[in-house]
Amino acid sequence: MSTFVAVLWKDLLCEWRNHERLSAMVVFSLLLVVIFHFALPESSAPASRTYAPGLLWAAYVFAALLGHNRAFAAELENDALSGLALAPVDRGWIFLGKAAANFLVLAAVQFLTAAAFALAFELELAAHALPFAGIAALGALGLSCLGTLFAAVAVRTRFRDVLLPLLLFPLAIPLLAAAVHATAAILAGRGVPPASLHLLLVVDAVYAIVSFLSFEYVLDE
Amino acid sequence: MTAPSPTLPLRRTLRICGALLLALAAAFAFCVWRAPEDATQGVIQKIFYLHVPLAFSAYLGFFLTALFGALFLWRGDERSDRLAAAAAEVGVLFCSLVLITGPIWAKGTWGRFWSWDARLTLTLLLWLIYVGYLLLRSFAEGGDRAARFAAVYGIAGIAVIPLNYFAIELSRGSLHPENLERGSLGAGMGLPFALGVVTSLVCFLFLLCLRIQVTALRRAEEQRLYASDA
Amino acid sequence: MLGENGAGKSTLLRILAGLVRPTSGSVAIEGSVLERRTARRRIGYSGHANLLYPTLTARENLCFAGRLYNVANPHERAAELLAEYGLSATAERPVAKLSRGTAQRLALARSLVHDPRILLLDEPFTGLDLNGAQALMQRLRRLRADGRAVIFVTHEIDRATALADAALVLQKGRALLMSAPPQRSDLEAVLGQPVGSAA
Repeated sequence: MSTFVAVLWKDLLCEWRNHERLSAMVVFSLLLVVIFHFALPESSAPASRTYAPGLLWAAYVFAALLGHNRAFAAELENDALSGLALAPVDRGWIFLGKAAANFLVLAAVQFLTAAAFALAFELELAAHALPFAGIAALGALGLSCLGTLFAAVAVRTRFRDVLLPLLLFPLAIPLLAAAVHATAAILAGRGVPPASLHLLLVVDAVYAIVSFLSFEYVLDE
Repeated sequence: MTAPSPTLPLRRTLRICGALLLALAAAFAFCVWRAPEDATQGVIQKIFYLHVPLAFSAYLGFFLTALFGALFLWRGDERSDRLAAAAAEVGVLFCSLVLITGPIWAKGTWGRFWSWDARLTLTLLLWLIYVGYLLLRSFAEGGDRAARFAAVYGIAGIAVIPLNYFAIELSRGSLHPENLERGSLGAGMGLPFALGVVTSLVCFLFLLCLRIQVTALRRAEEQRLYASDA
Repeated sequence: MLGENGAGKSTLLRILAGLVRPTSGSVAIEGSVLERRTARRRIGYSGHANLLYPTLTARENLCFAGRLYNVANPHERAAELLAEYGLSATAERPVAKLSRGTAQRLALARSLVHDPRILLLDEPFTGLDLNGAQALMQRLRRLRADGRAVIFVTHEIDRATALADAALVLQKGRALLMSAPPQRSDLEAVLGQPVGSAA
């Protein structure tokens, strides 16, 4: 447990000292908002508002991708990853610490991106802030678990930047589908649909368990 | 350096399998040819006899990949890993064939190659996971590392595939109301279908053994080269 | 441990440290084969890279390492090590701004944060100037006198003969020669004459 706190604190401290990761993710998200605006014919028309939930989550997934790649790149710099592998602890806790740090960074980016989206697509996010925040958090949780696990895998292969999305995307589809479905329903004023909420919870549980147990094998050389 | 003995027992298995496969394939082809044409879909419906059995093997393939991957992580024996890799390679072949025969059938029946039909989409996602697995194996350097990473991915993949089913349900409900009707098997269709499934599974087994044999031969060659180098 | 490049010295060291799972065989510490997590507790390792976080300070790196190893009072231990290894002056400087020699001292301190009985060092003398090398030799002698086992990889036969109780030479992944105490003539025979020595 103390390992979890130590790793989480260390990651946040590193992020605080050198927030190039956070800045990159935020700037990237803003760029995506602009690109999406130009990609859709008229972004303020009601028709394109139906696409907004999907685009928002696409933006979240891309931002998560960026963040996770960077998170482990830092560990490789002085082979600090071996330092973690040497620790006489259950590696699942190391995983949780890193995933939690990634979650917090992603959550911050989610908040800023949502604000940008609300502005760009004239969404009424503020009115549904709480349920949306809940869904966003659950989605970020799943993305962080899966992303942390596979970033650790991808970072020690060739073409690490290319491999992470290839590994992550197919596995993230259930999370994406549930999150988009829920977000669309929330923005339409229908509240959180139980079907997508349940799927989201199950998906998060599956991701978390698989990642926690597999990390042991991933840290070995 | 001793030559690996796995090729010898596999050679016998391969011969038996191969003979069985030929017989089954012949019987299967005959049955399909003689099977009654579907009233609504016409002769194109006969692709169904190929499409669904191939899908069986495709899903079996990934299940084996995940299973042997888990065994490898648990026991650390290379043999499990080689089986996992072979199952993935053969499985992705079958999966690709499913994705080819599906749209052909769809075009013949519905006039459109792709319409995000639930089952075909699920198979597409399976295919993407397969490809991710194989890319991971090839990009990871070091035999043991590649094996371990791939095993982890295989396990994650098998956990996610059932979840994908629900995901597709969710997304279909709101955006794509269509669904390709797969009618129940009519009279005279049971035999070719059953034969198709058996043929497909035997074919999978045959190719799996072949792939393992190739791996074994390759390793024997490598060891021979290394021994002469030292 | 000595041997030419590619002999497998670093790999063997990493196997001993528990970083790499051996394809066959096992590592026994003081006669017993331990579960890897228990073994890691008894071993300190310092590799080619310094295992440090460049944006964190020397003190923060030691504290973090202390927490990873469940050391009782990480802050106190960090202060202790900083003093012992002459790092107090640079304690609050981020590792990226430290000189190479200082970073190497810090890496060594890090490997000892949990007071391990066994220390594994991969080429600790590389890149050190004369003073640094002398200081390191003193430290290693002190560690040995403390009752610790130290295994270090080096390319220089002089280090082996000056410091070690035994020398293992590796070649192509196999043990070629064990010389205890290290005999210069034996080592030179298998490794060839050192550069610059009399023919």
